Amino acid sequence: MASLPLCHRDDIPEGAARGFLPLPDAPRRVIVVRRGTRLDAYMDACPHYTGGTPMAWRRDAYLNGEGTHLACHAHGALFDIDTGACVSGPCLGRKLTRVALTEDQAGYLSVPAHVAGRAAREE
Amino acid sequence: MRIIGPDYLVFGVDDLEGSRTYLQDFGLKPVQLDATGWLYEALDGTGVVIRHRDDPKLPPALQTKNMLRQQVFGVEDAATIDAIEAEMSRDRRVTRLADGAIEFQDVLGFELRFQVTRRRTLNMPAEKINAPGAPAQRAPNELGVTDDVPALPRSLSHVVLFVPDIDKMVEFYTRRLGFVITDILTGAGPFLRPAANDDHHTHFFIRTPAYMQGCEHLAFHMGGPTELMVAGDRFTRKGYQSFWGPGRHKFGSNWFWYFNSPLGVHFEYDADMDKHDDAWVAREAPNGPEASQVFLLQWREKWAPGGGPEGGAKG
Repeated sequence: MASLPLCHRDDIPEGAARGFLPLPDAPRRVIVVRRGTRLDAYMDACPHYTGGTPMAWRRDAYLNGEGTHLACHAHGALFDIDTGACVSGPCLGRKLTRVALTEDQAGYLSVPAHVAGRAAREE
Repeated sequence: MRIIGPDYLVFGVDDLEGSRTYLQDFGLKPVQLDATGWLYEALDGTGVVIRHRDDPKLPPALQTKNMLRQQVFGVEDAATIDAIEAEMSRDRRVTRLADGAIEFQDVLGFELRFQVTRRRTLNMPAEKINAPGAPAQRAPNELGVTDDVPALPRSLSHVVLFVPDIDKMVEFYTRRLGFVITDILTGAGPFLRPAANDDHHTHFFIRTPAYMQGCEHLAFHMGGPTELMVAGDRFTRKGYQSFWGPGRHKFGSNWFWYFNSPLGVHFEYDADMDKHDDAWVAREAPNGPEASQVFLLQWREKWAPGGGPEGGAKG
């Protein structure tokens, strides 16, 4: 399966989230959260509205104030970082779209090429 | 009831430093209220008050995680405060504060405060345009735009609420507080203005489930469409996330540009809103993309044609 380079694991500080465009003209970023050795990746597309909407309030500002959840700063929805499930807010009961990360031996991360064309949320 | 509109909106936030930076970059001026609270004010003194969500100075939170804690309304005079106090005391507890303001909860539990307005009278021109067939608005040699146009929010314009029971809210705000419905987006809800304000709306209610109750967005009036575009462009360049716009709404005719925020609500720049009086008859349209805007644009990096084809001209 075709894949696109996204970033290096060390581009994401410990305990933080960052958003990366898989291609310069991609409609949505991919959010990567790093906690210890664990990495979780989701489309930057809140499931509140059809098509998904961008979630940060400033570039890479994807977490809530305590850093415990991914947050959509459109209406304050909170998402479990492990599962992407909305635990509070307008999209309660829905999930962020998980993105499969591939890591090479040097720590470089890549994502499936189709995420670069994906604006909409997929169940 | 001579209510003018929101003087302040009070928020209890979980990221105080991030919120302070955001409000300042949005164009609001910080005024420290005490050791733990700040007012970020527009040019007329209206604005947003923020504290950390655990600050005991805040009114109680909603059942949801929405960060709005209180709407502070400005009214014309002390007699209006007395009239509201008399009306509300019929069926709810009203607290009279030392400064003469009153506090109570509305019918769905939103915290309200009413005070004689603290807004300052502005005296500054609207954006001026020239067009064939009409007298020029700018004098000869008076420029329409420069790189250093200030583009600062002038006044807190309106607040939009997610409400689980529209009928109760409309009844409370119209019959008990004298608001007027100006237009209705069917499926979403009504636009309202208070009696002492001729803006198309200071409030818009959106029908939602109970777990969403809270503030959806708030907006500040700018001096015109150019100021709105300049402010939004500068805000975007600082790394803030556009949510919707720029564009121009149909109901209200106001230009709009919405941004995500660490306060968990959208912040909107608006400009050139319609004015109404009591002769106006409310329109109704089904909510959706067509009714919501005349046009919708999206920000992009500056670009200009030039430079010729890549690799030079052929032939």
